[in-house]
Amino acid sequence: MTTATRSVTDTQAVRLRGVTKFYGSGANRVPALRGVDLEVAAGEVLMLVGPSGCGKTTLISIIAGILDRDEGECLVFGADFSTLSQHERTARRGRELGFVFQAFNLLPTLTAAENAAVPLLINGVEFAAAVKRGALMLDRVGLGERTGALPAELSGGQQQRVAIARALVHAPKLIVCDEPTSALDHQTGQSVMELLRDLARSDGRTLIIVTHDARIFSYADRIVRMDDGRVVGEGAESAEITGEKSQELDHG
Amino acid sequence: MNRIALKMLMGDRAKFLGIVLGLTFAALLITQQASIFVGLMTRAYTAINDVGLPDIWVMDANVRTIDLDGVKPMPDTMLSRVRSVEGVQWAVPHYRALLNTRLDSGRVQGCLVIGLDDASLIGGPAIMVQGTLADLKREDSVIVDEVGAHRQFARTDPMTGAKIPLKVGDNLELNDHRAVVVGICQASRSFIFAPQVYTTYSRALRYAPTSRKMLSYVLVSAKPGEDRNALCVRIASRTGLIARTQAQFREASYHYFFTNTGIPINFGISVLLGFLVGTAIAGQTFFNFTHDNLKQFGALKAMGATNGMLLRMILMQAALVGFIGYGLGVGLAALFGLAVQGTELAFRMPWQLLFISAVAVAGICMLSAALAIRTVFKLEPAIVFKG
Repeated sequence: MTTATRSVTDTQAVRLRGVTKFYGSGANRVPALRGVDLEVAAGEVLMLVGPSGCGKTTLISIIAGILDRDEGECLVFGADFSTLSQHERTARRGRELGFVFQAFNLLPTLTAAENAAVPLLINGVEFAAAVKRGALMLDRVGLGERTGALPAELSGGQQQRVAIARALVHAPKLIVCDEPTSALDHQTGQSVMELLRDLARSDGRTLIIVTHDARIFSYADRIVRMDDGRVVGEGAESAEITGEKSQELDHG
Repeated sequence: MNRIALKMLMGDRAKFLGIVLGLTFAALLITQQASIFVGLMTRAYTAINDVGLPDIWVMDANVRTIDLDGVKPMPDTMLSRVRSVEGVQWAVPHYRALLNTRLDSGRVQGCLVIGLDDASLIGGPAIMVQGTLADLKREDSVIVDEVGAHRQFARTDPMTGAKIPLKVGDNLELNDHRAVVVGICQASRSFIFAPQVYTTYSRALRYAPTSRKMLSYVLVSAKPGEDRNALCVRIASRTGLIARTQAQFREASYHYFFTNTGIPINFGISVLLGFLVGTAIAGQTFFNFTHDNLKQFGALKAMGATNGMLLRMILMQAALVGFIGYGLGVGLAALFGLAVQGTELAFRMPWQLLFISAVAVAGICMLSAALAIRTVFKLEPAIVFKG
């Protein structure tokens, strides 16, 4: 397995300083993040790895402005989501962020092109124009022939490609992916990951990927390992994880 | 986003049909039960409508409704006193009482005897099926309503067991007096289920048990240009009786039935039940629909859909199913009304009722939507990261 070599730009996409997050209150208060420091450069492909419950999902939720941190600082392209109103935060998320979910989360009653167009519709683009752009993006992910198909008529890999098209269609600066390959077989996972990385790179977008899947580590510019709410390892060498360690991560 | 909302709603046909059928059922139940209620309550004053021509009804001060509240007759001299009030163009006597009739078979049947002014026959039936109103001028003549002739007055053929309706030329015996049927008429259904027998006022007095007071009502027509309300006040002050315009008498009769019978509460419960059942079915289905789509709503939220957008989506979904369900429900209720037209079942669907049921269905949709909106607003978009 080789470490992806790519020089990232100097511009900072994400900067976290001492980010702390608790769930629950009183005696039931449980720390999910314990002072996380992290920087992600614009255009970088960063993978967050670690055992279940280590705080990966909480971290990307805070970066995406979906959750509020309790302490510390979180800047995304220089903006602090916590200073924005809920409405502004949601609107900004719709403009600047793309999402790829583990369970795809496609709307089952919409066609592939309509699903891909959803972020454009959220941003106020007229329906026909949005669907046209969705279809064009589907073409880029290799599904140009399946624009009218419903999610149920597509394979898992094809559904994830639709989700990738949806994540990219509105040209977001940052794409957050949650286990994008865990529901896919090895070969499909590889091709989806390759597609995601290539598309993101060609347009200079930043990718933050939460994953357990050691088979896709090679697609990362950098891997950050987390455990117990902390960053415990960081750097390109983290991608050189052996198969045994991968198993540990898988079943953390 | 509106197109997405509609596609989300209509894409799952089973759930879409479930919600629409729930609302259809609610709209049908509310409209149909309320229409029967209105139809029944209308019967409180159909007899007043049937009399038609007079502007004012003059009656004993204790009369609260026509026919059913017991007869409170007045002395015949009251007719002259009413006629003497200025502004009265004409005034005629009107008799109404429940009397017993003996049929040819010997069976005794109660009936409502209506005595019309001998000269003018004012207050007679508007629609004659057989014979004419003028036939009442003949000796011992009576006109019987069609339903009564075919039901209560019908005799059974001893050979075949078939019912033979009362017909023109048949005889009745009213308080030992012979009466000959000279006509069959149509009369509106009222709360009096006894057959209606029309005759002249003087003949009705012969049929009725003798009493010092026999005059049931005085029917009055106001002179042209005369203020009817003012005339009512004048008649009341001069005679000590009560004078009501047709509209006032209808209102009084309606009020009597509304406050003195169990009809409003019984039908009110039915209508309320329709509303509750409709709310339960449609609300539950709509809520389930939203609940089943929570993950999708969560994804939309995560992708930048604001609460306002989701609110508009849910309201549009609720409005669409409400509109379709209301249309189907009211349409079915109207078809029911058409099917029972001309039967004894009371059914009346005025536009006000359509408006009320529209408000009720809108209320159901709003309640359902409010439940769904509450759930979606409370939804944490981080749900999408939980597999």
